[in-house]
Amino acid sequence: MIWLTWRQFRAQAFTAVAALAAFAILLAATGPHLVVLYAASGLSGCHPASCAGLASRWLTGLYIGHTYFMLYEFSIAVILLAPAVTGLFWGAPLIAGELETGTAALAWNQSVTRTRWLAAKLAVGGLTAMAVTEGLNLMQAWWAAPIGRAVGLGATSTFFAASRFNSFAFASHGITPLGYAAFGYALGVTAGALIRRAVPAMAVTLAIFAAAQIAMPLWIRPNLLPAEHAVVPVTSLRTITLQGGGPHSSQFHLGTENLPGQPGAWILSAGTVNAAGRATSTAPAPCTTRPSEESTHAFIECLASQGIRESVAYQPASRYWAFQWTETGIYLAAALALSGYCFWRLGRRLT
Amino acid sequence: MIEFHLDGRSGVAPYLQLIHQVRQALRLGLLHEGDRLPKVKDVSAGLAINPNTVLKAYRLLEHEGLAAARPGIGTFVTGTLDGGPLAAHGPLRRDLQRWLAKARRAGLDDESIEALFVSTFRSAAEEDIA
Amino acid sequence: MTAAITAEGLGKRYRSKWALADCTLSVPAGHVVGLVGPNGAGKTTLLGLATGMLAPSTGTIEVLGGRPGSGRAQLARVGYLAQGAPVYAGLSVADHLRLGARLNPGWDAGLARSRVERLDLDPRQKAGTLSGGQRAQLALALAVAKRPELLVLDEPVASLDPLARREFLQDLMEATADQDLSVVLSSHLITDIERVCDYLIVLAGSRVVAAGPSDELLATHRLLSGPRRDPGSLPGGVQVISASHTDVQSTLLVRSTGPVLDPVWIVSEISLEDLVLAYMSQATGRGRRNHLEVQR
Repeated sequence: MIWLTWRQFRAQAFTAVAALAAFAILLAATGPHLVVLYAASGLSGCHPASCAGLASRWLTGLYIGHTYFMLYEFSIAVILLAPAVTGLFWGAPLIAGELETGTAALAWNQSVTRTRWLAAKLAVGGLTAMAVTEGLNLMQAWWAAPIGRAVGLGATSTFFAASRFNSFAFASHGITPLGYAAFGYALGVTAGALIRRAVPAMAVTLAIFAAAQIAMPLWIRPNLLPAEHAVVPVTSLRTITLQGGGPHSSQFHLGTENLPGQPGAWILSAGTVNAAGRATSTAPAPCTTRPSEESTHAFIECLASQGIRESVAYQPASRYWAFQWTETGIYLAAALALSGYCFWRLGRRLT
Repeated sequence: MIEFHLDGRSGVAPYLQLIHQVRQALRLGLLHEGDRLPKVKDVSAGLAINPNTVLKAYRLLEHEGLAAARPGIGTFVTGTLDGGPLAAHGPLRRDLQRWLAKARRAGLDDESIEALFVSTFRSAAEEDIA
Repeated sequence: MTAAITAEGLGKRYRSKWALADCTLSVPAGHVVGLVGPNGAGKTTLLGLATGMLAPSTGTIEVLGGRPGSGRAQLARVGYLAQGAPVYAGLSVADHLRLGARLNPGWDAGLARSRVERLDLDPRQKAGTLSGGQRAQLALALAVAKRPELLVLDEPVASLDPLARREFLQDLMEATADQDLSVVLSSHLITDIERVCDYLIVLAGSRVVAAGPSDELLATHRLLSGPRRDPGSLPGGVQVISASHTDVQSTLLVRSTGPVLDPVWIVSEISLEDLVLAYMSQATGRGRRNHLEVQR
């Protein structure tokens, strides 16, 4: 069975190796120069007080320089898409292709049971999908190490994911890609077994996988562990959005990107509360009467003096790996459940 | 080694055709006592017919005393076919001519005579086999 | 001798339509069984149930005394050649032989090789580029080299040209004689398989309408023709399969346990093909209906 599985998987394996090789060549060609750029930025021996600012400016410079920013985005995209690609092109046609061409009758009437057949196919395809995705992940992590170090020095950037909890960063680093690969593959195989035609199965796999990858960061991941809460003074806030325009309006909305004392924390939500502790988005009377235009800072000070503070729900940075393991565990469990269903279904009936 | 052929449209059962061809071969001197008949596998493969059909024919030949099966080796011709002494042919032919004349006088046409002869001959042959 | 296939009330349903219903059979081993019926009669369904590719909706089926598809031992005893002789287009002929060798403990490599050589196939040729006849022969070689006890073939010669058809049946008969195989093959053309089958099952309208050794079927069915009369006037042991009437003449196809002695009937034998066609058209309600007016 291993021989047959390998023989049928050969072409796909070579494609995967070629893709990995192309990716490796691209990163190997550009990686060393990134290291040179980092060395030239002076970040390796920077003074602690100025490191954050220097790092931020270096990252902004990379963005303006285009090349490395595009490569960065591209490499992240490749890791995010790999589980979908393997699920679609390896998983969906596994059973569906055999049923469509009729070769299932040939494969399942030798002297191996369908269970054994499926076990070999799932193992080889699934593990290879996971290995490919992890390979891409490791290569990208090696290449982006300088950027990682800059972020570690406290750089903030809207271009390069400055927080490990950023949706794209979280899904393309650590061990989550393994879970996605396993899930995508099992999803493809299950869709193929149910729909029995390869192309529709691929479409359904893509749709469900995409839905899962959107639902997870939006609704599920934030709730995997109970959030911590803190009420922080308004002075440390950075972003301010005023509705109705200008510091003179009475409606305002404050955002927050960093939490004092919780570097790298994942901010889930933030809302303003008044002195009494109740949510408010209306500026108290004294703060609406500032006449001057550049008075955003003064406005914030006024709010603070009126007892307006920010109530924040967040996940501490130390929970990063807890989240990684939990999410990966969920995807692996889903993959196992889907595989189990396939075994059950193949075992009892067919066409 | 003789070779069999099959007339799919003659209406005669395949096993009977095989038996008939063995007898013809004996009569014509193509087969002699002690010759091996073609293997069941070769006959059924050559003619694309069921091996049981060939087995049935060979078993019936055995029953008639014309052949004998030696397990693992093959089926061999054991008997000869007698046309009967030539002396018997003359009187039999004259009897037949007389019968034909009688049938013509009774009003039978050629087809009726042939049909009558064939059906009587066949039912007599089947009674022999049964 | 164990029966090749034993079915009891077997049925298979897809949503609300029964592809096969009320199927009760006892097919003896050691025969070449022809499964005939019009398209859609349930032949592929029955064969799928026999090989374990399908699970029954009702009833039971046993093949060579075991449940179809249940485990390696059962799978090894039954070879299956599906409709259209599916092979892996991207795999070479030699790859297919390797497939057979790896996946079958009872694989006879010498037999497989000699068959492929006789077919003059280039071992490195991709199976997708083979002709229909060659594909069928390759699939047959794979099924036979596994050394099964029962070989099941679904319409193996349906799309083959006459020469390929003849060669395929020749090879099948050779393997049957050689290995003492029991064979079940289906076709919608009785002429294709008349010569090779010695047992018939006729399926029509998703039901078994006739089953038995060909010899017995031929011996017990007769065509009666005579002056027009009511079929009900025949003795009890005679069952009318189909009847057709003109204003002066009746022609009946009957199944009878003994000879029909009533001198008013001209009794003649019927070919296997006409017998099967009569059963098939009677079951599906096709064929001209000539209603007999009862003569007063």
